[in-house]
Amino acid sequence: MRLVAKALRNWPARAWLAVGGVATSSLLVIALVAALRGASHSVVAYVSQDGADLWITPPGADHFLRLSGVLPAVLADSVRSLPGVAAADVILRAFVAVSSRRRGARFRLTLYGIGYRAPDGLGGPPAFAAGRAPSKLREVALDRAAARRLGVGLDDTVFVNGRGARVVGLTTGTNLLVTQFIFADATAIAALSGFAGRASFIIVRLAPGAHSDTVAAQIGGRFPDVGVFDRATFVANSQREAGAGYVPVLAFVDILGVGAAAVLVALLIHTLVESRRAELAVLLALGATPGMLAGGLIREATRLVVTGGVLGAGLARLLAVVLDRVYPVIPLRVDWGDTLWVLALFIACGTLASAIPVARLGRVDPLEAFRA
Amino acid sequence: MTVLLLEGVSKTRGTGAHATRALRDASLSVASGEVVLLEGASGAGKTTLLAVAAGLVTPDAGRVVLAGRSLGDLSPAARRRHRARVVGFVFQRSNLLERLTAWENVLLMAQLAGRTAAEARGETEKVFAQLDIVHLAPRRPEELSGGEEQRVGVARALVHGPALVLADEPTGNLDGAAGRVVAEALAACSRLRGAAVLVATHDARLAPFATRKVPIVDGRLDFPPSDEQ
Repeated sequence: MRLVAKALRNWPARAWLAVGGVATSSLLVIALVAALRGASHSVVAYVSQDGADLWITPPGADHFLRLSGVLPAVLADSVRSLPGVAAADVILRAFVAVSSRRRGARFRLTLYGIGYRAPDGLGGPPAFAAGRAPSKLREVALDRAAARRLGVGLDDTVFVNGRGARVVGLTTGTNLLVTQFIFADATAIAALSGFAGRASFIIVRLAPGAHSDTVAAQIGGRFPDVGVFDRATFVANSQREAGAGYVPVLAFVDILGVGAAAVLVALLIHTLVESRRAELAVLLALGATPGMLAGGLIREATRLVVTGGVLGAGLARLLAVVLDRVYPVIPLRVDWGDTLWVLALFIACGTLASAIPVARLGRVDPLEAFRA
Repeated sequence: MTVLLLEGVSKTRGTGAHATRALRDASLSVASGEVVLLEGASGAGKTTLLAVAAGLVTPDAGRVVLAGRSLGDLSPAARRRHRARVVGFVFQRSNLLERLTAWENVLLMAQLAGRTAAEARGETEKVFAQLDIVHLAPRRPEELSGGEEQRVGVARALVHGPALVLADEPTGNLDGAAGRVVAEALAACSRLRGAAVLVATHDARLAPFATRKVPIVDGRLDFPPSDEQ
């Protein structure tokens, strides 16, 4: 009954405080999930780029992140000669120290150095925000978030493992949250990292009409000590690996966020029941059923949770846009599916939490209506 | 026609050392068109008697017949439905619902009594006109004076055309003029609608509007009347 529900509404100031609390909690949860998705997206954007049909890895490695083995760089020449292979390029991945000097201060970051056959070999930057790919040994393309943290832009100089290089490109989709990518020619990265003649991966582009399973089997048969993965499998494995480090922490914080919102709603409805006992007693005396009152209170709880949740989701989207423009260091990728999932979770928890104070309705005596 | 009949009703409130016999073998009959004042000091049992009459409290002994139905024979849900249809309440502090306007407070009562939306609107308009409080309709309780609140409270008690109006100290918090207006509104309940009105009070200003006075002392209604009465 609409008027019963209206009679049980909180006063606006109190309601907006609760909405603000729920909105903050949902913003926290959605932003955390979006951060994970943003980092994961960067891995996917790089690994799934055009032309990377097969990935050859050192023994035991089945993903792009966190591996320590290497391959002989000459393996690329052998692979290139196999039927069905259009191109095979070396990728050398090594952590590098990148620093800059700005207004007398020195900034330093440890970045994912990606050495590839610059400027147009396989495994280069997936997308540019500005500039171009490096074409000389002393040129680099840098993730734009890393560039911001280092305080550099196009044509500025950065020091990679102590050696100066000019920034010629700013890349996007290359931010893993905890670190970012820097691209340079493989020869330069090899010289800087001491991995001359080595490769972290070999990327294979298939010839038109060639089938990935056939070529992968061929490579596996010829070089039994290496791993060979098609693009979809390598993407999935890399995503799994990217999430493995974050998911437990994010899940823990998300549970705390949802729990905080649920407790807030329960507290609010509890306060509503306790502070409006006289009105509840009047409603009971006038003939309202306990079911009507419970329905009104749960409706109020749902209203607050939905309003707060939707507000939080909107703020998360706004935050993602603002961060992308102002502070791209934190890559938020807000997904509709994640948002709906979080909202559903908030509504379920908020509604369940309101059941506890609603159960206390049984303690309201209609006779309280007569007590002045 | 008898609207309310109490026969040998007793009720003890509380338990153990805190038990109080609020009503003792109380019998009372109120007919439609009557305005009966239940007069007694605080703690005499007035409120308990109203609550028993409305079916809000089940007596330990005795029988309550309300608008032709014995409340003891009804399930709690049926008793609640019967109460919503045939009883109107006027409380000491009006007890209007603060989030609703005066109009919505009265409309809600009509809806709880089972009226359709159109019927509820029509009856609400009618009672606001009868009590000359149309101008109060859009205001919230906090925007009303004590007397205005109580007049809206009377409208809420009357809107669904109840057979019995139960009023608990309806003028207790009001000054002289406001109290008189509310007393007249209560008298109008029986005059305009033919309702039986049972008023628990110790306010002498209500006496001129009563058709009968019933004293209550220590939960008993059957003690000999004094000279004054």
